[in-house]
Formats: sequence, C-alpha cells, structure tokens
Amino acid sequence: MDIFMDSLLRRAPGYLPEHLQLVIIPMAIAILISLPAGIIVTRPGYRRYAEKVMALFNTAQTIPPLAVIAIFFPFLGLGYGPAILALTIYALLPIARNTIAAISSVPEDVKEAARGMGMTPKEVLFHVELPLSVPVIMAGIKTSAVLTVSTAVLAALVGGKGMGAVIFAGINFFRPELILAGTIYIGMMAVILERLISLAEYMLVPAHIK
Amino acid sequence: MIRVDNITKTFPGAERHAVDRVTFNVNEGNICVFAGPSGCGKTTILRMINRLIEPDEGEIFINGENARTMNPATLRRTIGYVIQQIGLLPHRTIEQNVAIVPGLLKWPRDKTRKRVLELLEMVGLDPGEVGRKYPHQLSGGQMQRVGVARAMAADPPIMLMDEPFGAVDPIVRVRLQDEFLHLQQAFKKTICFVTHDINEAIKMGDYLVILNAGRIIQMGTPIEVLTSPADAFVRDLLGDDRGVKILDLTRSGSLMEPANALPESPGRNGCTVQAVQPVKIALEMMMKKNADQVGVCEGETIVGILTWNGIKEHINRVSGDGS
Repeated sequence: MDIFMDSLLRRAPGYLPEHLQLVIIPMAIAILISLPAGIIVTRPGYRRYAEKVMALFNTAQTIPPLAVIAIFFPFLGLGYGPAILALTIYALLPIARNTIAAISSVPEDVKEAARGMGMTPKEVLFHVELPLSVPVIMAGIKTSAVLTVSTAVLAALVGGKGMGAVIFAGINFFRPELILAGTIYIGMMAVILERLISLAEYMLVPAHIK
Repeated sequence: MIRVDNITKTFPGAERHAVDRVTFNVNEGNICVFAGPSGCGKTTILRMINRLIEPDEGEIFINGENARTMNPATLRRTIGYVIQQIGLLPHRTIEQNVAIVPGLLKWPRDKTRKRVLELLEMVGLDPGEVGRKYPHQLSGGQMQRVGVARAMAADPPIMLMDEPFGAVDPIVRVRLQDEFLHLQQAFKKTICFVTHDINEAIKMGDYLVILNAGRIIQMGTPIEVLTSPADAFVRDLLGDDRGVKILDLTRSGSLMEPANALPESPGRNGCTVQAVQPVKIALEMMMKKNADQVGVCEGETIVGILTWNGIKEHINRVSGDGS
C-alpha cells in the first residue's frame, strides 16, 4: 500500500503536465485545422467533396492509434515532435467528421428561408449553420479529447514522455503500482476534460435545446 | 409591379424545361396564384422572382427594375417569402425569428421590437404568450402564422408565398386563408401565391395562372377560368363541381330579379340572403327551407329575389355544356 501511495502521490504527478501538453497541443491544432476544413467542404461549391472527405475520415478513424504512431515512426523518428504530430492527426478525425456531419444536417428549409429573407452566405453560416451545429461539433471535440488522453500514453513508446512513461515503466519493471497509478491519472484526466468540455458545450449550445 | 418576360429554366440533367417561355404580369395589390400539378414549374417561377434560382433566359422586372442587376440579398430583403415548411430558425425565439429581416436591415432596436409585437398581434398570436417561446413549442398553425408575420416584418411591398398553408389541417387552413385575405384587404400587398389546391387558388386569387409541364396553359380571373376553361387539362384541374364553384364566386345580387318586377312578396318564411353573399349560400338556404326562391337583401331592405330556375339557367349558360 505504501509503495502504491508513493507511486500515486510522488512518482506519477510529475508526469501530469507533460501528458496534459500531449493532449492540449494536438487538440488545439486539430480544432484549428478541422473546423475551417469542415466549413469549407460544406460550402455549396465544394459540397460534392464532402461525402468523399467523410468517407476518408471514417476509414482513417478505424486505424488503431498504435498503428498511426508506428506508421509515422520511420519518417519522423522518435521524440516529442513526432508524438505531437501523430496525436494531432488522430485528433483531427472526429472533429472534422462531426463538423461536416453537423453542418450538412442543418435542415434545408431553414437555410432556404434564411436565404429567402436576404441573408448573405456568410450570414447564413454564422447565424444559422454554425449555431445549429454546435452540439454535434462539441460532441466531436469531446470524443477527440478523451481519445487523445488515452492515445497520448503511447507517445511514451516513441520517446514522447507523458503518463505513458510511468505506465510502461510499470510494465517493464513489473511494478503494478506504477501501472495502476498512471492509469488512475489517465482516467481522471479523461473524466475532468470531458466535464470541462461539456460545460463549454452547455454555454455554447443554442437555448432551444437546453 | 412584377413583370416576368419570357423566362425559361432547365435544371442540369433534366430532359425538359422546368419553366418554358413563361410571361406574365402581376399588378400592384393583387394576389396572383400559380396553380398546377406538382412538377409544373410553379415553385421554380416563384424562386426565380427572388433569385434563389436564376433563369436561363428571359428577364424579370420588379417595379420596372431588372432583377438581374440587383444584389440578390438586397432584393430578397424587400420581398416577403413564406414557404410551406416555414423554415423558422429553431434556435431563435419567435420574437427573434420575426425580427430577422429588420435585423438584417439594421433597424433600431426599439423600432424592431415595436414592429414585432404589432405583427404577432396582427397574425392573431399573443406576443406575451408565444414571443419568448421557441418554434418547436408551437403548433403547426401557430408556426404558419409566425411565418407570415416574419415575411411581413419589414413591410415588403411584394410577397412570395409557396403553399403557405399547406402543412396545416383543413380546418386551420381555411381559418388562415380567411384571416390572410382579411389582412390583404388592409395591406394590399402584391403577392405571388403558389398552390396545388385548386380550391385555394380560386379562393385566394385575384388572378390565376394555370401551369402544366413548365408552360402557362391559361391565365385569367378565377371566374374567367371557371366559366371558360382553355382545355381538358384545365377542366380536369377545376374538377367536376365547376358549376358549384362558379356559384361560390357569384354574388346573389348579380343573379336576382329586382323586387319590383315580382308579383309575389319575396322573402317569405324570412328566407333571405345578402346581395353580397355568394349564390351558394342562397342555395343552401333554399335546400334547408325547402323553398324554390329566396329574398335578396341589401342590409334590411329586400331588393330582389333569387329563384331556383334562375340559378339553373345561369349554370347552364356559364358552364356551356349543360352539365
């Protein structure tokens, strides 16, 4: 018990900031890329590409995270940078997919009425399409965040550090208390992040759904 | 007010024209109804007027100005638009929905607010009750009313209405039609109205445009179309009860024989109709009272008499085929 408490309270916490970085940086980059991308492919001129992009993303999502890291390892080598890149690519998918799905599912009659009243395409996007898409986009961000928290463990395999270092050390040296401590922090992080995003979602979603 | 000059539209991949060389005028303050089976091009015509669809050929003039030269968004803000699915923004309250066009036109806040309350009352809704609700909390009939209020928000001189009462049950539909005609008497908007319901077309229209397969088959006032349908298609569309529909549009006063020419005292059994009421009402009364004539009044005074034979002769005369 003492060994476990020691792992939990003294060894593992030091790796938390690193792990948090491995989550927040890829998430931020992923949101910055996939939101605009999702918006662009749902514009009338590009709409025919939306389905292909969706299919591509859906396929990419089925590749296991370990495989993603393994694929990039030969090109990018080891270390923090490659880990961030692999995690970003993995985090992109749910957000882009949900953004496209959300904007495409805004009812046609609502958009038609908005255009018919004299909203410009930009006004339709910001006053109609985006507000109505918030719940589904936020769900995508949530999925992506929780996924990244657990996938970031694998970053340790390519020298990316983070909580994975604790867990893999536990595995390698047969120290179950380290594995347990690391896992508890990963779980807590996932839950807290999920709650935080849910809170942001609640503040952003249109009032009629509340 | 609206002049449509020889417009043609073919959608990509379609075999025939959706709209084929269509020309018509809508006069100021009139309701022009476009009627015909689905796929006849009526909605496409409507959407070309506010440039949601661009015609391949031909021109549309609004108040003498070519629609093609106007900015589409600016043009649409001056044209009220009501569609069957209503298309209220689900994330905005009823008040916010009605305030959309004033908002786009950057009206001052208090002017918009006053206008919104006035409009909701005008279409028969209680602003205190529904104003802060969201569209999904309203009944179909209430939503249609909001749709009409929203289209009229910035007081546009022209309104385009695509089956605006199509999504509600028949009882509510009749009430909405009556209320809308009542509003129209006061506001005299120039309206293009699309419907596939010929009864609604006859009731709402000052002028009918009957379409089939993208072409205009017949144009005229409802009574003109009813009394002389251009061909078998129009006759079919009007239905087998064309004579009765004519009686619905004919005022009792126009078929009566003046009272002084009659030996007998008219209006026995207290059986009278107003001269402005349709002949249909007089018929109903004859059947109820088992009479073969009714008195026709203007206010309290009897001005004439309407007889069963007189009505029969009129139907035979106008429908022309003795039916």
